[in-house]
Amino acid sequence: MKKETEARVIVFTSEAEMPMMPASVASTLYNKTGSWRYMRPLYKNQTPPCNAACPAGEDIVMHLQLTAQGRYAEAWETLVRENPFPGVCGRVCPHPCESECNREYLGGAIAIHCQERFLADYAAAHHLSLPTTNVPQREEQIAVIGAGPAGLSCAYHLRRMGYQVTVFEAGEKPGGMMRLIPEYRLPKEVLEREIAAIIALGVEVKTGMRLGVDLALKDLQGYAAVFLAIGQSVSRRLDVPGEDAVGVLHGIDFLARVERGQKVDLGKKVAVIGGGNTAMDAARTARRLGADVTILYRRSRAEMPAIDEEVHETLDEGVKIEFLRAPVAVLTANGRVRGLRLTRIELGAPDASGRRRPVPVAGSEYELEFDTVIPALGQVADLTFLSAEVQTERGRIITDEKTATTRLPIFAGGDAATGFGTVTAAVGSGKRAALAIDSFLRGVERPFPDLAQNVQVAPRPHDPNVVRFEDLNTAYFEEIPRPPQDQRPAAQRVTTFQEVNLGYGEDVALAEARRCFSCGTCNECDNCLIFCPDVAVLRGPSDDEPFVFNYDYCKGCGICVSECPRRAILFAEEIKFNDQ
Amino acid sequence: MREPKTYARNYEIPEEELTYSGSVSCPGCGATLAMRYALKALGSNTITVIPACCWSIIAGPFPYSSLTVPIFHTAFETAGAVSSGISAALDVLGKKDITVMAWAGDGGTFDIGLQALSGAVERNEDFIYVCYDNEAYMNTGIQRSSATPWMAWTTTTPVEHPKEEPKKDIVAIMAAHRIPYAATATIAYPEDMIAKFRKAKGIRGSKFIHVLSPCPPGWKSEASDSIKLTRLAVQSKVFPLYEIEHGDKVTINVWPKDGGVPVKEYLRLQGRFRHLSEEAIAAIQAEVDRNWERLVVRAQRVMGNE
Amino acid sequence: MRKVVTGNYAVSWGAKLARAQVIAAYPITPQTSIIEKLASFCANGEMDARFIKVESEHSAMAACIGASAVGARAFTATSGQGLLLMHEVVHWAAGARLPIVMGVVNRAIAPGWSIWTEQNDTLSQRDTGWIQFYCETNQEVLDTTIQAFKIAEKVFLPAMIVLDAFVLSHTSEAVDIPEQAEVDAFLPPYRPPLKLDPEDPRAFGALVLPGEYMELRYKMQKAMEQALSVAEEVDREWGERFGRSWGLVEPYRLDDAELALVTSGTVTGTSREVVDALREEGVKIGLLKVRLFRPFPHQIIREMLAGVRKVAVIDRNISFGDSGVFAQEVRAALYHADKRPPVFDFVAGLGGRDIVPETIREIVDYTVTHDAPTEEFTWVGVKI
Repeated sequence: MKKETEARVIVFTSEAEMPMMPASVASTLYNKTGSWRYMRPLYKNQTPPCNAACPAGEDIVMHLQLTAQGRYAEAWETLVRENPFPGVCGRVCPHPCESECNREYLGGAIAIHCQERFLADYAAAHHLSLPTTNVPQREEQIAVIGAGPAGLSCAYHLRRMGYQVTVFEAGEKPGGMMRLIPEYRLPKEVLEREIAAIIALGVEVKTGMRLGVDLALKDLQGYAAVFLAIGQSVSRRLDVPGEDAVGVLHGIDFLARVERGQKVDLGKKVAVIGGGNTAMDAARTARRLGADVTILYRRSRAEMPAIDEEVHETLDEGVKIEFLRAPVAVLTANGRVRGLRLTRIELGAPDASGRRRPVPVAGSEYELEFDTVIPALGQVADLTFLSAEVQTERGRIITDEKTATTRLPIFAGGDAATGFGTVTAAVGSGKRAALAIDSFLRGVERPFPDLAQNVQVAPRPHDPNVVRFEDLNTAYFEEIPRPPQDQRPAAQRVTTFQEVNLGYGEDVALAEARRCFSCGTCNECDNCLIFCPDVAVLRGPSDDEPFVFNYDYCKGCGICVSECPRRAILFAEEIKFNDQ
Repeated sequence: MREPKTYARNYEIPEEELTYSGSVSCPGCGATLAMRYALKALGSNTITVIPACCWSIIAGPFPYSSLTVPIFHTAFETAGAVSSGISAALDVLGKKDITVMAWAGDGGTFDIGLQALSGAVERNEDFIYVCYDNEAYMNTGIQRSSATPWMAWTTTTPVEHPKEEPKKDIVAIMAAHRIPYAATATIAYPEDMIAKFRKAKGIRGSKFIHVLSPCPPGWKSEASDSIKLTRLAVQSKVFPLYEIEHGDKVTINVWPKDGGVPVKEYLRLQGRFRHLSEEAIAAIQAEVDRNWERLVVRAQRVMGNE
Repeated sequence: MRKVVTGNYAVSWGAKLARAQVIAAYPITPQTSIIEKLASFCANGEMDARFIKVESEHSAMAACIGASAVGARAFTATSGQGLLLMHEVVHWAAGARLPIVMGVVNRAIAPGWSIWTEQNDTLSQRDTGWIQFYCETNQEVLDTTIQAFKIAEKVFLPAMIVLDAFVLSHTSEAVDIPEQAEVDAFLPPYRPPLKLDPEDPRAFGALVLPGEYMELRYKMQKAMEQALSVAEEVDREWGERFGRSWGLVEPYRLDDAELALVTSGTVTGTSREVVDALREEGVKIGLLKVRLFRPFPHQIIREMLAGVRKVAVIDRNISFGDSGVFAQEVRAALYHADKRPPVFDFVAGLGGRDIVPETIREIVDYTVTHDAPTEEFTWVGVKI
């Protein structure tokens, strides 16, 4: 009897056909045990928590999978399909993905930002060009206002879709706020390379063109659509006496001057006011310029918006942080800063942001001497050039979930629309706008999750359910610690603007990628195939369909579902499929 | 054919399937999966002998077969003897490269087939005897066997009067015959199981492999829990994975992770233990611990000698 | 080559000359010398066979089943209790259509313990699907053992060669032992069309649903029916090659007989002498020896007994609640005859009690003096 692949039902009709003893003449393939099933397993990738948390809509699990196979170029391509700034984001993103990573409970979250940076550095070292898309060129011209992360991301994605894109930038160079991130955190070379790669795709960037000054909205009527990504350029004021004295230098202005290579005389003692990343950047930059730096923050450590690692690194570098302090006046002498009058703060009831409101303690004021005061309290957008048709609210341009403003075909994104956010959020916002503009111009419907959720240009089929730790079968995972990233020692750091974090080498990146649980995403661990008692799991035809169920025979025992380490198989009531 | 990815593979298992779909085993049947692994390990040049047991049915009714290798169905107590005859005949006929595998349940091994099994292994017949142990007479509808664990429910040991005797230590009995190879295996550890079958295949003489095989209807467990249960059986030391060579050299193949898990985690997933009191669970834990310590001592004695 | 051998050794020689390849056996008095001899043949290299010294008769038959299923020629021997222990797998061998040959030394069944001859052990295997030969002499035992392999392998049913405990098993007679080459010419190697073979993997003996079971039983019965003509043909060929034939039944001085004794086993030899003596005395008596009990040669027996006025069956067995088993069969065979002579049944010699010429004379006297039986059967020699 040959090995069978087809079901054969045997009916004996003559003596000669039937063996003399009960000997088999066919296989049990005749018996379609799939009819027993009342629950059906389904290969359906679910949403990994990192992907769900990424403001730029990166497919993190997939690039980690590719890295884990040593397929670095493909991993990088997967990454840049969603975000053209992996080198930037890998260095400066506060990585909300890692905060959600299920690996946290078994050795620490995957160092996703290091992986991203590794891939960007790999691409640079191997001179990889951004992948081009093979789509027909479109005639529509699109204007993007602002060459920050939102504007460039939008321009990048529109260009990939075949649109002709011109970016108008007020500054001398494209980059927006990214340009103000100090060299020791984000080497300019990395930024320039990623911007140049976008321009190389055929995006036109016109610098020195400030909307409202060098051009007006009405000048853009020839464009099929306009994307406003003007950012927030006006620093918030301290609103205390003496604020305009010489020696008061707002954080972004300070960082911009350093970036441009201008000499800044800080004196000896510098106060930085604020608790965000700009405050940390200003403080650490001042420290590198030789100053004795104190950060004054009106809330406590827990409320600080700066990235945790940044705060640690800042402290390591000898910057002092005083919590629950707020300036009540800038003390001046001869029009120059000589110090600050400060008040102690108590935290009261939570405010609208959910953080406890700072309340000055009566009679607690005291003075400290400073040569320079750097307020870093955030920025607001300058929206004065907008006509009334583009409505705003509390300093932000109003948009719907598709980034459309109240006047089409004007779209808006980035900080000017969403409020202050990260580079990565701006990248996501720009991508969302690109997709929205494309939908608008082509008149096609595209699903847009609400603004709180990310959006991808190349989404894999997946279930929106986000996989949590308790959904995993942890029997298949060992506790493996997250490898630390090499760092320059603090003592060395304060003497130089050289990069602090040194990233992962290939070996570490490979091992780290393999530490990924690949939540909700099949990586062909083979468990379903191996544990099926009924040989009803077969290898599939493609990477997109690595396994298929043979529903003719699957009895619906659910072993594959429970033994899938990563919850990439759903279990659904069979009755739902009766019509198929 | 596309080249499957391998970087994330949990196990290296031979690809070839030697069992067919369409068998009438219950959903989640451990014994069905065990056969799939066993034949992957042994390959197609194998003759199987199946006495009365669930597999008499799973193998398919006449004129069908769920295996791609020959099967000889035989009477309940005869697996050891029939295998002896097959092995001897193959020897006489000069077909020495064919592996003979007896595949019996716990009833056919621990109880009714023990005499023929003992006879066969005492004669050191060249075959592999596999007991897939689902810990009761499952094919007849869940009656106790001497493999049923202490205090387990079966239809003949109802909860008012659960089984009062401990499970028979079949591997010790086999090892006492000084056979070249006796081992335990289970379906949650396919690589270990396949390695043991391959090792057994390479040894001339009698080999005994005791495979714990969950029975969802008989254990009153979820069909989807069959792998989890056997993993817990190993991790809780209820069913340690070990081998004994020549009745003497004990090797523990899988050491429980982080010292193991309490037996309660294994027991609580099975309705047949639902009636157990805390005291009974504590007694089982104590017994399991004692057995494990004894096993470790025996294994360490070997390690110390080497 | 002529040798003086016991009945048991005649079995051993038969198995040896038939080139049995696997022997699995367990010792039981009075069978032991069969397997001792075979063990010796295997040990000294006279036989190229594997002897499995199993731990029970049940395993002996089970091992033969395994060996035969692979395509080897398998042989075993047992007796009495051993055969009864085997019973389940005796059925199995037949249902699996495996041409195993087994020598059985008739031994009475316990309790109480008896090691002496009686046919209840083999007759209780009547419905298992085995071919059964009952032998009268050591030569017949040897010849039948070899013939049995050939018949069994042609119809794919197992066969038993039955001989009386001690009276034959341990009694020495001069036996012509054929040359191996002649036996080889008579009995080709066993080549079954279906066997356990990884090159042609099949499942044997699976669950059979009611839709097919009866057809398989139909085929077994057809094979049994075929065995009658095959046994006849094989015996004739044997006769041509070796100058001896035994027949399925053997009539003795039956041509003009008015009274026919029906016998089996060693009682036949004693009966022949009594028949000769009575013929001298003018009694028209003859004898019909039943050699092949399964399949039962109804037609031949019907024809052979058609002319007699009375039939007396000697049964060294008893079916409790009925009569002797041979008598049942003979009566059933005659039921469809045009003329049905009365069939007297005599149960004698149970538990190895001697059946001597006087016993047989007693049986004849009873039959002669009664027109018809007054009871289902008559006890012979019961002392209480």
